[in-house]
Amino acid sequence: MKENSLLQAYQEQPNVWDEMFHQNQIRPEYRNFVSAIEDLPAAELTRKDELAKKLFMSQGITFTVYSSGEGIEKIFPFDVIPRIIQHQEWLHIEAGIKQRLRALNIFLKDIYHQQFIIKDGLIPARLIYSCPQFLREMMNVDVPYDIYTHIAGVDLIRDADGQFYVLEDNLRTPSGVSYMLENRSITSRIFPDLLPKNNVLPVKDYPDLLFRNLQALGNRHVSDPTVVLLSPGMYNSAYFEHTTLARLMGIELVEGRDLIVHNHYVFMKTTRGLKQVDVIYRRVDDEFLDPLVFRPDSALGVPGIYAAYRKGNVAIINAMGNGVADDKAVYSYVPDMIRYYLGEEPILNSVPTYQMSDPDLRKMVFEKMDQMVIKRTNESGGYGMLIGSSATDEQMADFRTAITDDPRSFIAQPIISLSSTPCYLNGVLQPRRVDLRPYALYGPGGIDIVPGGLTRVALQEGSLVVNSSQGGGSKDTWVLGPESGAASG
Amino acid sequence: MLSRVADTIYWLARYMERTRAMLQVIRIHYHTSQDSPAEFSWRPLLSSYGSRTPDELSSNEGDTTWVLDHLILDRENAASVYNNVLQARENARAAQDHITREVWQCLNDFYHAIRGTEIAQQVRQGDPVSGIDTLMRHSLVFTGAVQSTMPRDEGYGYLALGKLLERALQTTDILRIKWASFGDARQPAPEPHQLRNLLHARFGHELYLKTYRGNFNADSVLQFMLHNPYFTHSLYSCLHQLTWYFERLRPDSLPESYEKLEFMIGRLTNHVRYSTVAAAEPEQLNRFLLETRQELLDITGAFGNYYFGRSY
Repeated sequence: MKENSLLQAYQEQPNVWDEMFHQNQIRPEYRNFVSAIEDLPAAELTRKDELAKKLFMSQGITFTVYSSGEGIEKIFPFDVIPRIIQHQEWLHIEAGIKQRLRALNIFLKDIYHQQFIIKDGLIPARLIYSCPQFLREMMNVDVPYDIYTHIAGVDLIRDADGQFYVLEDNLRTPSGVSYMLENRSITSRIFPDLLPKNNVLPVKDYPDLLFRNLQALGNRHVSDPTVVLLSPGMYNSAYFEHTTLARLMGIELVEGRDLIVHNHYVFMKTTRGLKQVDVIYRRVDDEFLDPLVFRPDSALGVPGIYAAYRKGNVAIINAMGNGVADDKAVYSYVPDMIRYYLGEEPILNSVPTYQMSDPDLRKMVFEKMDQMVIKRTNESGGYGMLIGSSATDEQMADFRTAITDDPRSFIAQPIISLSSTPCYLNGVLQPRRVDLRPYALYGPGGIDIVPGGLTRVALQEGSLVVNSSQGGGSKDTWVLGPESGAASG
Repeated sequence: MLSRVADTIYWLARYMERTRAMLQVIRIHYHTSQDSPAEFSWRPLLSSYGSRTPDELSSNEGDTTWVLDHLILDRENAASVYNNVLQARENARAAQDHITREVWQCLNDFYHAIRGTEIAQQVRQGDPVSGIDTLMRHSLVFTGAVQSTMPRDEGYGYLALGKLLERALQTTDILRIKWASFGDARQPAPEPHQLRNLLHARFGHELYLKTYRGNFNADSVLQFMLHNPYFTHSLYSCLHQLTWYFERLRPDSLPESYEKLEFMIGRLTNHVRYSTVAAAEPEQLNRFLLETRQELLDITGAFGNYYFGRSY
C-alpha cells in the first residue's frame, strides 16, 4: 500500500505499464527498495539528488555544449530512483537478444557473401541494395571468426501488456555503456548498502569481457596484440565514454591522426617511433573511417585502413557495413531471419513495421497517420521522426510529401506506449516513459550480456522520445539475482 | 606512448607550472602595490601576462582591481590564469586515460573553482589575496596528486619535463625583467625590498634567509637564483632535475632522438653551471639570460620535433 506521502502523490497513468506500481500495489521486485526509501525524511531524497549531480560534476562525467564561443559543462540527467528488473524477466530478455544477434550476425555474413536470403526470396534485393549503409566494399571480405556485431546495444520497450518489444538493434557504434557503469557507481554512493541487500547483479565485468573479446581477435596475428580505441576526439559528445572505456581496459585511446597505414599494416605514432596496431575498437562511423574509400573530406579516419582491414592485417570492431542489418526497413525482416537461419521462433517481439515503399501499406498509414510513428530508415538519435498522436496537420502534410517523394527512406509503426516509471523530479515522484538498452558482447567464445543496461528516460512529461539528444536522461538499471526473485516473487 | 598524448601531457604540466608562477608573481605584486603605491607599476606584469597593447594599458594600469581581473579571470586574455587552467583541463581531458583519476579530478575541481562566483567575488570586491590563495591551494593539490598517484612511467616523465622547462623559463624571465628594472642611472644597485620581492616571486625567500643569514646583496641573490642546488626554482636545479628525468626516458626513446636532446640539455646545464655572471655587470647578465632563454626554447622545439611528432 502507498502510505508514504511521496508515494501517495504518485499517479499511475491509464493504459501504460508502470514499472513500479500495479493497481496501487508495489510490484514485488520494487518492495525492498521502496521500504528502504519510504521512511527517509522528506528532504533526504532531494539531498541524494543533489549529491548525485555533484558527483557527476566533480568526476567530470559531463559533456560540453559549445555555444557563444564558450564551453558549458552539462551532465547527462540522472534520476536517483533505479529501474528494477526481475530475474526471470531478465533471463527472457537475455535469451531473446542472444537469439536475435546470432541471426543478425549470420545475416551480415550472408549478405556480404553468398546472399542466400535474397536468392531464397525472403528479403527483396531492392531493399538491401537501396540501403545507404550497405557497403559494396564489404562484399567477400572475411572478418575474423565471422563476427560482425561484436558490440550491440539493443533497444527494448515495454508495451501496456507488459511484453518487451525490440525497437532497434544498434549494431554500428552503440554508445551509453559508460553511463551504465557510472550510474551504478553513483547509486552505490547515494544508497549505501542497498545494492547488496537487494541482491543486484553486478555490471562491472563489462570492460573485462570487452577487452577479452578484443584481444581474442588479435590473437590471429601475435600473442600480445596491440588493441586501441579509435575516437573522433574530445569534441565528440561521447568522448567521456571513450576515455572511460580505454582507461578501464588499459588500452590506448587514439585519434585518426595518430594512426598511419604503411604497406597495408596499421601503425600508431609513438614517442619511440611507429608501433603496429592489431585490433581497433572504433567509435568512428563507417563513412568517416577511410577517406580513400568513403567520405574523402573525413579528417577523423585513417587513409588506407580499409585495405589493411580487407587484407586481414587489422581487426576492426564493429565490422564495417553493419548498418544494413540495423536499417529500420530491414528491421521488419528480423523475425523471418531468425526462422530462416536458426530454425527457431523469435523469443522477443518486434514492433509491426510497415514499409512505405509498399503502396497499399502507404495508403493504410496515410489514413491512420495519427496512430503511427513514422521514422526515417537511416536516422537515429530521435531525429527525423514523427509521432502521429502529437503532430500538427502541417507536420503530417510535410511527412506525406517527403514519403511520397522517397518511400524507401521511411517506415511506419503503430505507436507503442512505452512503460513508465517513477522519477524524482522537483521533489515529487512523477511518471516518465523509459526504454532499456542492454549491451551485448559477441566474441569468439559466444555472446555475453552483462545483467543491466542503460534505462533511458523521456524527461518531458508525456514524451515518448528518450534519446539524450532530445532531452532524455537515464537511470541505474538493477537486475535482481535469482534468490531474491524467488523469495519475494 | 602516443606522440600526441606525450605532447598533451607535457603541455598540461607547462600550463600548470605557469599558473603557479603567475599566481605567485601577482600575489607579490599586489602586496607591493599596497605597500608603496607611489613607485609601483603593474606594467611589467601586464606586458608579460596581459593581452593589451601599451596604448590600451595607459588608462587602466593604475586600477588594481581591473588589473587583477584582467590577469586572473579575464576570459578574453589568452594568457590569464583562467585560460591557463582551462587549457590545462582541456589537455587533461584529451589525455584522460594517461593521467590518474585523482589528477583529473583535482584539475576538474580547479577549473570549476576558477569559474565559480566565489573567486570572482574575492578578486573583484573582497580580499584578492584570499582568492589567489584558494587558487594557489588548488595548484598545490594538483602537484601533490601528481606526486602521489601518478606511476613513474613515461607519462610522469613528460609531466616532469614540461614542469621543469617551464620553471626554468619563468626563473630566467623574472630575473631578466626584474634586473632590467633595477639598473637605471638614478638607482645603481637594487634596494633590499626589491631583492626580497624577487625572491618571494620565485618562492625562494625563506631559503635565502637561511642560507645567507639575512645579508641582502644583489650578487648573493643572483647566485642563489642561478646556482643554488637546494633551491628548487634555481636555474641550475631545474636543469639538473631535467637531466635526471630525461635520462629516465632513454629506454622509451629512439636512440637518435635521445642523443639530440641529451646533447642540448647537457650543454645548457653546464653552461649555466659554470657561468660566472656578476650583478655588477648587468649587460653581461642580460646577454647570458637571453642566451639561456633561447637555448631553453630550442630544447622545447626539439622535443616537439623528435618526441611529439611535430614536423613543422
